[in-house]
Amino acid sequence: MSLTFGQVIALIGAALAVGLPGIGSARGVGIVGESASGLITEDPSKFGQALILQAIPGTQGIYGFLAGFLTIQKLGLLSGTLVDITTFQGWLIFAACMPIAIVGFMSAIYQGRVAASAIGIVSKRPEEVAKGITFAAMVETYAVLALLATILMLFGIVI
Amino acid sequence: MAIVKMEKMHLLGLKKEQSQIMSALQKTGIVEVIDIVEDNDETAKEVQQDSKIRSELTKDLMDLESKLNNLKFGIDFLKPFAKSVNPLIQGKPNIKKDELAKVLKDEAQVLEALQAVFDLDKRLAQLKVEESKILNQIEILLPWQSLDIPFEQLGDTQETVFITAVMPRKAKDELEKSLEEDELLACIKALGENRDDVYTLVIYHKNHKEAMQSLFKEFSVTVQDFPGLTGTPAQIIKQDKKRLADIEKEREDIKRKSQELSSQKLYFEILYDYYSVERDRKSNILKLLDTDKSFYLQAWLPEKHKDFVKDRILGVTESVYIEFKEPDEDDDMPVLLSNAKLVEPFEVITELYSLPDPRGIDPNPYMAPFYFVFFGMMLSDAGYGIVVSLLTALALLKFKLEGSGRKFVSMFFLCGISTVIWGAIFGGWFGDLIKVKPLWINPLDNPMSVLILSFIMGIIQIYTGIILNAYKNIREGHVADALMDQGLWLVLLTGLLMFAVPQLGAVAKYVAIFGAVGLILTQGRSQKNIIMKLASGVLSLYDITGYLSDVLSYSRLLALGLTTGVIATVINTMAKTVSGSIVGYVVMVLILLGGHVFNILINILGAYVHSSRLQYIEFFSKFYDSGGRAFDPLRIKTTYVELEDL
Repeated sequence: MSLTFGQVIALIGAALAVGLPGIGSARGVGIVGESASGLITEDPSKFGQALILQAIPGTQGIYGFLAGFLTIQKLGLLSGTLVDITTFQGWLIFAACMPIAIVGFMSAIYQGRVAASAIGIVSKRPEEVAKGITFAAMVETYAVLALLATILMLFGIVI
Repeated sequence: MAIVKMEKMHLLGLKKEQSQIMSALQKTGIVEVIDIVEDNDETAKEVQQDSKIRSELTKDLMDLESKLNNLKFGIDFLKPFAKSVNPLIQGKPNIKKDELAKVLKDEAQVLEALQAVFDLDKRLAQLKVEESKILNQIEILLPWQSLDIPFEQLGDTQETVFITAVMPRKAKDELEKSLEEDELLACIKALGENRDDVYTLVIYHKNHKEAMQSLFKEFSVTVQDFPGLTGTPAQIIKQDKKRLADIEKEREDIKRKSQELSSQKLYFEILYDYYSVERDRKSNILKLLDTDKSFYLQAWLPEKHKDFVKDRILGVTESVYIEFKEPDEDDDMPVLLSNAKLVEPFEVITELYSLPDPRGIDPNPYMAPFYFVFFGMMLSDAGYGIVVSLLTALALLKFKLEGSGRKFVSMFFLCGISTVIWGAIFGGWFGDLIKVKPLWINPLDNPMSVLILSFIMGIIQIYTGIILNAYKNIREGHVADALMDQGLWLVLLTGLLMFAVPQLGAVAKYVAIFGAVGLILTQGRSQKNIIMKLASGVLSLYDITGYLSDVLSYSRLLALGLTTGVIATVINTMAKTVSGSIVGYVVMVLILLGGHVFNILINILGAYVHSSRLQYIEFFSKFYDSGGRAFDPLRIKTTYVELEDL
C-alpha cells in the first residue's frame, strides 16, 4: 500500500486533533483532581460533587477524539481502503482538524483551573456548586464552537 | 401558579397562651415568623434582652441544644450496631401519639441508656489510651528482651554497679578497648541491637565510677533508666501482651453491650426529633416582642391559607387580635414557588441558580419546556433516553425521595422522555446499534439543517425572554419602556431575521431600519443633552453583537447531539471488530455495555450542564430578577422519624 503525501498530512491532522485536546484534558482533569483530593481528606462525603467538577474538563478530549474519528472515517481508514486524496485536500483536512486541536488543548487547561477553584465552592458552600459548574461551562463554549467548526469543515471538504 | 402571594400576619395575644398559639402555628407548617426583635431599634432590643423571661428562654434553649447534642451522639454511636433501615427505601418510621407519649413517660430510662452509651464511649477512649501506652512500652522494651535481671535489681550492689545503656555500634568496640587499656574493672554485655545502636548491660566496680562516667560521655553512651518497672523485660512484655488481649476482650464486651443498647436507638431518635421540634418553636419565640402579659408576632404566610391559619389560632383561644396585611414596598418577603406537576421538577434548575425576586417573575413555567427540549436534543439517543427514564422511574417508585432530590430524579425522568423523542427524530438507537430510519434526518448526514434548527430554537427562547421582560415592564406600569426597549429590539431583530428568507428581503430592510432608528432615538432618553441622547442611542445598537453571540451559543445543541451519536457509533464499531469467536462475543458484549454506560454518563453530564447554561446565561439574562429568599416556615421538621400526631 503506497501512501500519498496528502493522506499523511490528513492523518497527522487527525492525530493532532485527538492528541492535543487529550493532553489538555488530562492536564485539566489532573488539576481538578489535585484540588479535589485535598477536599476529600477533609470531607469524603463531597466525592460526588467533586467528581462532577473533575469530569467537566474531560470533554475536550472527547471532542478531539470525535474529530479524529470523523477524519479517519472520511479517509476510509476504518473500512480498510484509504481514499486517494491530493496533497491539497490533505492540507484542507489538516486545517479542518486545527480548531479543535488548538482550542481543545488550551480550553481544557483553563477549564480545569476554573473547575479547580470551584472545588473551593464545594468545600465552603456545597449548595452553590451549580454556579461553579456554570463558570466552568462558560469556558467550554469555545471548545464546543471549535468542535463545530471542525465538523462543519470536515463535512464541507469534498474528496 | 408561579410565585405564591404572601401576606403579613400581625398577631397580638396573651402571654399565658403563647406556647399553645406557637404550637398551633407550628402544626400548620405554613407560617414563617419574622424576627422583629432584630429589626427593632437598640433601646427596645435592650429592654427585650433584659427581660427575665427571655433569659429563661435562652437558658431553656441552651439546655435543649445540649440535650440534642447528647442524643445525636448516642444515635451516631449506636448506628453501626443497629439493624440498618435505609430511610431512602423504607421511609422514616411513623411514630403514633401513644408511642411518643410512652417514650416521653419513660424518658428517664432512655436517658439512662444514653448515659450508658456515654460510659461505654468513655471506657473505649480509656482503653485506647491504655492500649497505646502499652504498645509504646512493648516497643521500648523489645530490644532489652534478653536481659534476665529484673529491673528493680539493677543499680548498686556492695561492690559493683549494674546499669543498662544504649551506645552506638562503633562505640562499643572502642569503649571495650579503652576499658582494657585503662585496666578498668568493667564488662559490657550486648543484649540486643538495631540498625545504629547496641543495647547493653554494663557492670563495673564502684571505684571506677567517675572514670566510667567520663568514658560514657566520650563515647556518647546513654544510660537508660526504667523507673517504676519491676520484673525482667521479657516478663513485663508477657504481662503487657496479656493486658492487650484483655483490652481486646473488653472491647468485644463493649461491642456486645452496644449491640444490646442498639434497640434504644429508635427511642433516642424519637426524643431527638421531639426536642428539635421544641427547639424550633422556642427559638421562634425569641423573635417576638413581649410585655409582661402580652406578646406581638409578625409572620409571613401564603395569602390563600390565611383563613385556615386564623381558624387554627381561634381554635386555641378567642382572646387574640389577628390582622392580615399586604406586603409593603420594602418588605423582605420570602419566596415560595407553586407550579404545575410537570413544571415542578425543573424548579431545581432555577433553585440551583437563585430563587426569583419576590416581586419578579417565576421563570419556571417558561424555562421548563426549553430545558426539556434542549436536554433531549443534546442527549439525542432514543436508547439512552429509555435507559434514563426507566432507571429514574424505578428510583421514583422504589425510593422515598424528598425535596430537591425527588425533583432532580423526576426532572431526569422527563428529560429521558424528551431524549427518546429526539432520538427517534434523529434515528439514534444506541448509536447505530439498532438501525431505525430517522423520523426526520440523521444529523451526521445533514449537520447544516440541524444547526439551523438549533439557531431557531435559540431565537425562540431569546424572543421569549425579551417578551417576558416586556411583560414585566407592563405589569409594573411601564408600558412606554416595554414598547421602546423590548418592542423596538423585537422589531429590529425580526427585520434582521427576515433577511435570511429571500422572499422577504425587500420588506426586511425597512423593518430593520425602523427598529434601528427607533432604538437610536429612544435608547438615550435618560440622558440630559441631545448629543448624549443620540450617542447612547447609537451605542445601544452595539448590543446586537450580544444577541448574535447568544444565538450562536445554541449551536451546542447540534455539537453535543453529534458527540453522543458519534461516540456511540465508535463503541459499536469497536465491538463489532472483536466479534467472531465465543470469547469475541463475550468481549463484544462487555465493550458494548461498558462503552454505552460511559457514553450515557458523560453525555448526561454534558446535556445537564449545557442545558442549564443556556437557561442561566442566554435566557435568564434577558428578564430574570434573582435573589429571592426561600420561604422557611415554622414547621414540624424531623430528622429520623415522622411525628405526625404531635
